Amino acid sequence: MNVEWKKYDVLVIGSGGAGSHAAHAASNKGASVLVVSKDPLGVSDTKISEGLATVRESGSNDDSVETLSENIKMAGADLSIESLTNAFSQDSKLAYDKYRENGLRPTISLKSQTPKPLPLPLGGHTRRRTVGHNNSGIAFAHANWNAIVSKGEIDYKEDCWIIDIIVDKKTVIGAVAYDAQKGIILAIQCPSVIIAAGGLSTLYFPKTDTLRGNTGDSYALAVRAGADMVDMEQIQFLPFCLTSPPSYEGLLAGEPVTASFLGVLRDKNKNIILDSVFLRTRAQCSEAIMKSVEKGNGTINGGAFLDMSANKRAPKSGPYFMEYLKTSLPSAYNNVRQALSKPASQCDELWEVRPGAHYMMGGLRVNEFGASVAGELYGKVDLGVSGLFAAGQSMGGLFGANRLGSTSLTEGAVFGLRSGEAAAKNSIYNPLKLQSNDKFLKKISEIDNILVTKGKYSSSSIKKDIQKACWKNLGPIRDKKRLNKIRKLIELWKKKIKNIQIEDTLIWNQSFIEYIEVKNMIDTAEIMLFAAEERNGSIGGHVRIDCKNISMFSKPYSTVVNINNDKSFNVKRVYRNRTPLKRMLFYKVEEIKRLLEAKTIRFLPLSIKDKILEKKYKNIMENNDEMSSIYPGSPEAAIGEKTTL
Amino acid sequence: MKQNSKDILDVKIVTHKDGKDKVVEFQYRKSSINEKTMALDVLLQAQDTILPNLAFRYGCRARNCGVCTIDINNLPRIACRSVVRNGDVLKAMNTLPVLSDLVVKRDNISRQLRGKLKTNTTKNDLNVEAPKEYHELTACIECYACLEKCPMHEKNSHDLKPNYEKEYKWGNPFTLLKLQTVILDPLTSKDDVKYSINSAIDFGLEECLDCPGCKCGVGIDLKGKVIKPLVEKSGLLR
Repeated sequence: MNVEWKKYDVLVIGSGGAGSHAAHAASNKGASVLVVSKDPLGVSDTKISEGLATVRESGSNDDSVETLSENIKMAGADLSIESLTNAFSQDSKLAYDKYRENGLRPTISLKSQTPKPLPLPLGGHTRRRTVGHNNSGIAFAHANWNAIVSKGEIDYKEDCWIIDIIVDKKTVIGAVAYDAQKGIILAIQCPSVIIAAGGLSTLYFPKTDTLRGNTGDSYALAVRAGADMVDMEQIQFLPFCLTSPPSYEGLLAGEPVTASFLGVLRDKNKNIILDSVFLRTRAQCSEAIMKSVEKGNGTINGGAFLDMSANKRAPKSGPYFMEYLKTSLPSAYNNVRQALSKPASQCDELWEVRPGAHYMMGGLRVNEFGASVAGELYGKVDLGVSGLFAAGQSMGGLFGANRLGSTSLTEGAVFGLRSGEAAAKNSIYNPLKLQSNDKFLKKISEIDNILVTKGKYSSSSIKKDIQKACWKNLGPIRDKKRLNKIRKLIELWKKKIKNIQIEDTLIWNQSFIEYIEVKNMIDTAEIMLFAAEERNGSIGGHVRIDCKNISMFSKPYSTVVNINNDKSFNVKRVYRNRTPLKRMLFYKVEEIKRLLEAKTIRFLPLSIKDKILEKKYKNIMENNDEMSSIYPGSPEAAIGEKTTL
Repeated sequence: MKQNSKDILDVKIVTHKDGKDKVVEFQYRKSSINEKTMALDVLLQAQDTILPNLAFRYGCRARNCGVCTIDINNLPRIACRSVVRNGDVLKAMNTLPVLSDLVVKRDNISRQLRGKLKTNTTKNDLNVEAPKEYHELTACIECYACLEKCPMHEKNSHDLKPNYEKEYKWGNPFTLLKLQTVILDPLTSKDDVKYSINSAIDFGLEECLDCPGCKCGVGIDLKGKVIKPLVEKSGLLR
């Protein structure tokens, strides 16, 4: 393949919430920036999200950096790094304003002159601070797109796959990419690379509600570049995703909070496996479902039943509940309406649900500016890969073992901006002093060898195998047997991928594209495996059914995985500070109080219960402004829908 | 197990490699008789079986990301939410250059607005609400279904071979929608409103005067909410 050489100050991999803000910030600092994106510009998990952002102090005057930071750390089971949670909390308003500068327009509360938050705090937030938006994530995607396009000073390439980051003496010197539009190899020389290439949920496809492109590129590129990876066993599964029909498998049906006051989870025999669902975390609900499946009580598609009929049945509060369900997560409800029967969408029948991969909490081990770090405890920049940065889902250490709702869009912007500025600075102070192109040429000749491989396996079939095996053995429940199984499979995949069939085409060579992604998926699965083996107890998104839960009173630690010179992986623990006992007990007592209250309501006689709930709904709904009626997926919208009628 | 003919859909997939089209007859196997098969289901199953290197775009499977648009029987459809019937022909969009199979090159559209989209509003107070129409336009998922039969975009047709890192000269409903969003934004200055209208004229807004109108992939009223206000403001009617 022909090679085209390019020089930039900063290379940004990815064009979603994190990548676009990183590019914008670096460009504003005067750096020359190239954004490389394998999917079209701005097409990311941000675009397909529910469009909820955490904005500190939007809902109450007594919110503060400390409170928000503590909420994140408590939810993350003390694995979260304080400098990161503080950076997040500090910048959440500023980052949100960047979104607004690029065209995001929320509803403004007349009283407080701030963006208007949702009427209730999302689970785990002790303050109201989640701002919802017309058109959900699509509104954010427009702003991201604008951030890259509007000024006209940022170069970008879509349909372009980064193959590897090139590193010399633990310092970034550039990257090599496959430009599928032109059918050439790009050799990009640059002193700073920002990885903002999203997560890994495609390892579980189709049991995921996220974008196809989440093939673990962020983590595989980083680990091969020599970076430390933190908390890689911690994946967030959304508990309530659809199981059928095939076109809807994995898509979001609801959140714990939308199960409302009387929603419960039942197994195939209709026995309750979890009550007070609306107060539980995503992790708790997923765990309950998968443990019931493991016991042989799973539904036909390996899930459980979400039963919200008690909400619906109450004569006075029932109609309010239906309104609440339809409006609080419109696109999720729309999935249900299209995929399930009419009685089910009216909540008269049960919903079959199963967890789906949603968000990777683990990732590149970074400091508060998104720079790669290594070493003991919180790590040092000098020991990390110099010139390597990460933002958004690519980075780890912020959310620890569990992520609170509405934080990820804010995270992308906060750390996108921080890493963009830091990378621009790095490029000014540490410009490239290339002695030779040897490292690039070596990589390019490796690629040329792969391009002529005429073996017997197709990458797309290996991809399918990985997806099935990861769900079963590295998914929402794990044990030693499963992990051993995945270890053997990884060895097998590694052998197979050396013996694959690559087509001769130059432009958009699908078999080569699949190869690049499959290789990243295998490396990512292996990083996760090492972390999952090291963490021999359940915590947050990592559920080991063969081990005990890790006690909240024990010394918290994070897992760190990196690569050795011989390309084998290495894992260790780094210890974290525990939140003072008094604060932890305070949170625990609050949680128990809320659960007790919810239980009490459930067992009250219907007439009394109905009155209490009606009042509660009225409170919620009165605060709720009407959202715009057109959103993608609404029945009156959509060219596709009309072909069905 | 022998499949019942009711469980099978006969579909034609038009592949494209190295400049050549080829029609592949594909028998899609339904998971049940009642299954409402989407075009994307067909493409995924074809890739799993007889066409392992079939190239097509997809993303969210829920009509949010806007990348899986293809032509079904020569009309643009969002593959993940378009039901397929016996005999349907699935092909790359005819309005953009084909890279491979069902994948088209999209970025000559976005590049039209490089340096021309006046969204930067740092000097303003941000706590201002946008009008309802603004939110109606930001529902656009950028699926490019609106390029179909657009007389403005058709003027680019001699330019429909892949053209790297360059923009098309003539506009399209999507580009006009982005400009109209800026115009509707209460934070945009008067000068920038004027600049955006002039950009629309430069992109060939005149073509809209005799055009019956464009069709949006997600149901936005392009004619009423984008074209009409732009034409009115442009002075082209006088």
